[in-house]
Amino acid sequence: MKDAIGFAFLGIGAGGFIAMMAAGLVVAFKGSGVINFSHGAVAMYAAFTYNYLRLDGTIRLPLVDILPTHQANIPVKISLASGGPVDKWLAILISLLMSMLIGAGMHYLVFRPLRNAAPLGKVIGAIGVMLYLQGIALVNFGAENPQPEAILLPNTLFTNFLGFGKPLPGESFALAIVAIIVGAALWFNYKFTRFGLATRAAAGNEKGAVLLGYSPERLALSNWIIAALTAGLAGVLVGSVTGALNVVKFTTLIVPALGAALIGSLSSVPIAIAGGVGIGMLQTVVATWMSGQSWFPEWLQSGATDAIPLVIIVLVLFLRGKSLPVRGNIQEKRLPLSPYPKRIGWYVAVFVPLGAILAFGLPGDFIFAGLSGKWGFAFTTTLIGAMLMLSYVLLAGYVGQISMVQLSIAGVAAFFMARMTANGTPSPEDPFAVSGPGIAWPIAAILGIIVAVAVGIILGIPALRIRGVQLAVVTIAAAVSLQTLYFDNSKLTNLMAGSNAAVPSPTLFGIDIGSTGSAGLTDSPKFALFCVIVLALMCVMVSNLRRGSTGRRFLAVRANERAAASAGVDVPRTKLLAFGLASALAGMAGVMTAFQQQQISSANWVYFAGLVTLAFAYLGGITSVSGAVIGGVLTGSGIVAVFGAHQSEGLHSYTPVLGGVGMILTAILHPSGQSMLYQPIVQYFGNWLKRARGREWAGVGRRLGPFIVIGLAWGAIGINPWRTDDWSRPWMMALGAFLALFIRNLVILIRSGGHRELGSAEATQEVAA
Amino acid sequence: MSSLLQTHDLTVSYGGLHANSNVNIKAEKGKLTGLIGPNGAGKTTFIDAITGFTNVSSGRAEFNGADLAGVSPAARAKAGLVRTFQSLELFEDLTVWDNLIVMAEETKWWSFLADIFQPNRALGVEERAEWALNLLGLGEFRDRLTLDLSHGQRKLVSVARSLAASPKLLLLDEPAAGLDTVESQQLGSHLREILNHDITIFLIDHDMGLVLSVCDYIYVLDFGKIIAEGTPEEVRNNPEVIKAYLGESAGELQASEGDAAARALKGEG
Repeated sequence: MKDAIGFAFLGIGAGGFIAMMAAGLVVAFKGSGVINFSHGAVAMYAAFTYNYLRLDGTIRLPLVDILPTHQANIPVKISLASGGPVDKWLAILISLLMSMLIGAGMHYLVFRPLRNAAPLGKVIGAIGVMLYLQGIALVNFGAENPQPEAILLPNTLFTNFLGFGKPLPGESFALAIVAIIVGAALWFNYKFTRFGLATRAAAGNEKGAVLLGYSPERLALSNWIIAALTAGLAGVLVGSVTGALNVVKFTTLIVPALGAALIGSLSSVPIAIAGGVGIGMLQTVVATWMSGQSWFPEWLQSGATDAIPLVIIVLVLFLRGKSLPVRGNIQEKRLPLSPYPKRIGWYVAVFVPLGAILAFGLPGDFIFAGLSGKWGFAFTTTLIGAMLMLSYVLLAGYVGQISMVQLSIAGVAAFFMARMTANGTPSPEDPFAVSGPGIAWPIAAILGIIVAVAVGIILGIPALRIRGVQLAVVTIAAAVSLQTLYFDNSKLTNLMAGSNAAVPSPTLFGIDIGSTGSAGLTDSPKFALFCVIVLALMCVMVSNLRRGSTGRRFLAVRANERAAASAGVDVPRTKLLAFGLASALAGMAGVMTAFQQQQISSANWVYFAGLVTLAFAYLGGITSVSGAVIGGVLTGSGIVAVFGAHQSEGLHSYTPVLGGVGMILTAILHPSGQSMLYQPIVQYFGNWLKRARGREWAGVGRRLGPFIVIGLAWGAIGINPWRTDDWSRPWMMALGAFLALFIRNLVILIRSGGHRELGSAEATQEVAA
Repeated sequence: MSSLLQTHDLTVSYGGLHANSNVNIKAEKGKLTGLIGPNGAGKTTFIDAITGFTNVSSGRAEFNGADLAGVSPAARAKAGLVRTFQSLELFEDLTVWDNLIVMAEETKWWSFLADIFQPNRALGVEERAEWALNLLGLGEFRDRLTLDLSHGQRKLVSVARSLAASPKLLLLDEPAAGLDTVESQQLGSHLREILNHDITIFLIDHDMGLVLSVCDYIYVLDFGKIIAEGTPEEVRNNPEVIKAYLGESAGELQASEGDAAARALKGEG
């Protein structure tokens, strides 16, 4: 026991860091009701700023010069000390100012415009900020992982800390003390100052703050700056406690901090601080002491520490939560309406043949020979992405359950299937074959999906008592645990460290429908058609669920759980059904990913990628099947991403930055997602086609003809002249025409008044007219 | 005459506060029973307790002869104990028709499988929903989203929605709040009409005009306790009630309004 306590104290440094981050999360939540998933990224940026000031004396502003030629000369890098390190205290000051600047920017550019958005919209905004800061850091600081400098009590070591026989670095001790001081200061500020009172009042009701003579916006700004400052402080002071600086790793330190913040109900700074220190200590005890005990299960040894936040979060929230929301709960802002799917047969009749043409080309390769190479791979990635998005549409769009674990559930299906098909016989492609029962692929795939459903339902249990953004936090903690406990756990996967799980190529009635094409690339058109058909079936399935009594119940639960219960809808069962169905959809996506990639590793299902896929689902349109398809088109490595990369080689390092900006802009400007923008246009155009006569065609020709001609010419000389090859030239003309029309419509939209909902019927008619 | 709903010393406490203490109420089958009381008297708490939305501290409630303890809100609704909400709580993402159908339909565990293959199959409850819709004169709003309706229309939707569920006992939580006098009187006549369809009603409201005119029997709640009960006539003349709830002059005014409305209704019937 003495040992355990000694080890626990080793964790107070990490705990102090978690605690400070948690305090910042609480402050941001109090100030503006946002659970700030980008908090870790703010700390990361401050940490990098400090360490680069100390390395080469440069400040790198949180922006990029997007023009590779630097024609505009946007200042990004400011050199302070002609290559030498800057004084320690000045560097600390500048780094903290930097984090405050980022906090102010987040308020003005992101969360103030989003203040009336649905909770999910704010989550997407925060994810956008996180992607932006990550992308910026990768561009501005490079992918190096420097060792951070210890600031507090460096070179100090307590050899026998508190007499428990364990040495403790002075840095860890100091970090915990600073965390407690910061916590006390924040607590005092919110408890005893007028500013704190006004913030508390504004958290309940904005008018309350106005009555106290405070502007709610100024309050929110101050709180954002304070929150960012604590993140910056944590990032600068953490020093060597978290190891080498790494853009992505640092950002993900948010997860235990979220756990600590939730322990404090997102409202109590002291409890969050205590929770943070506690989580850090507990993690260290488990990692260093408990896992060495003989009674500790062997399969838990990898990843048990990362599962601690999940266990704590679930316990705290589940015990505190109510199975139905109580009367008088402040109603959250609603998600966009979920449109009733119509003409499903028509969509299938158009899109399945279209998909077949994209895969195989036109007969005799007339004009178009089918997507191949990276385009073929992007096409199947898009289709599989859409499958995953469908699971978000069902769960978040229809039932309102914000889940960030769907990608990991896809991974569960893929990993389980891979293990079931394995038979332990090494081959040249797979020298370290894992043991397994060697089941045929269709059965293994079904087993994988069944396991995914089981995992999904278990992870859905917290949703019976936890709602909204808090559920999002639970699911992200669950995704972390799945990654470390399953995908990275060689005891369960039987994989050699660093090697991938092999997936056999599927065959159907003797036809190879695997993803390997004729040239040995992963671009087989047969596999693409396989994906098209699977996606079409899944779309029909989800549409039918939406149209039937299940969909009515889902939307009833989404709209109002109390009323749904009073209508005889079994709310818990309906939620679990949704989790199960969504996991089946995600599992299908996972299985298809495995077939596409032919080998899988935990890198395919990194939990942070799960956040991003949720964001893409939201961008496409979280409440409709067509939104899922558009989300798939937008998804990472999908058609749009590959096309963009192809057209802008040399700019590709900016894509995460642009992705983050795009996410924030869409969340602000177009909360119902892009599909809501296209759908009425498509509908209007379809109706118009049915009734249009020659004269109207001529009219359209007169109005749009010039734009099309200009667009075609633009495309012919190349939209991006230094990047046009024979392959892309015909495409360029079509794209040019499309872009010309798009820009024209955009101008009309903006002139018609930007405040109006873009997808509304009259706006569409105006555009189409 | 048998009572459909009966509570025995029902008590609901939040911490030290007794929102309902030792409430004994009976709702007779086929009758319209009313519960009135000033704001904060514990009326909605009583409905919440009966329908399972809040925990009962002590005492018990019986519905149709069965003890309600431990039965989930959804199961109570399925058993025919259906409520409306003071704050409406409609399904705003659904059309008026779908609002009714959600309430009316019976689902099985395999319903989702059936939906995948045949989403628009007949449910056997359409006739009932149609009847509820037309009874409250909402036919023309059938395919509109409830968001697009006026407050009064939404009130009617919430009543129609409960009717679609084939309730045995309909608990109405302040259906007249926010309605004007005419709408309120129309609602009153709808309620008497509903009684003719083998549905018992339990009405909570503080529109005295409505309650005194339509109810067969009235309970008066104040500070969580029943302070009076009886026919509208008895309640109207009960000095305790006048003092606690109606206030001297305002109460008399409202009571006389109720009188007039009652005469109008009874005259027709």
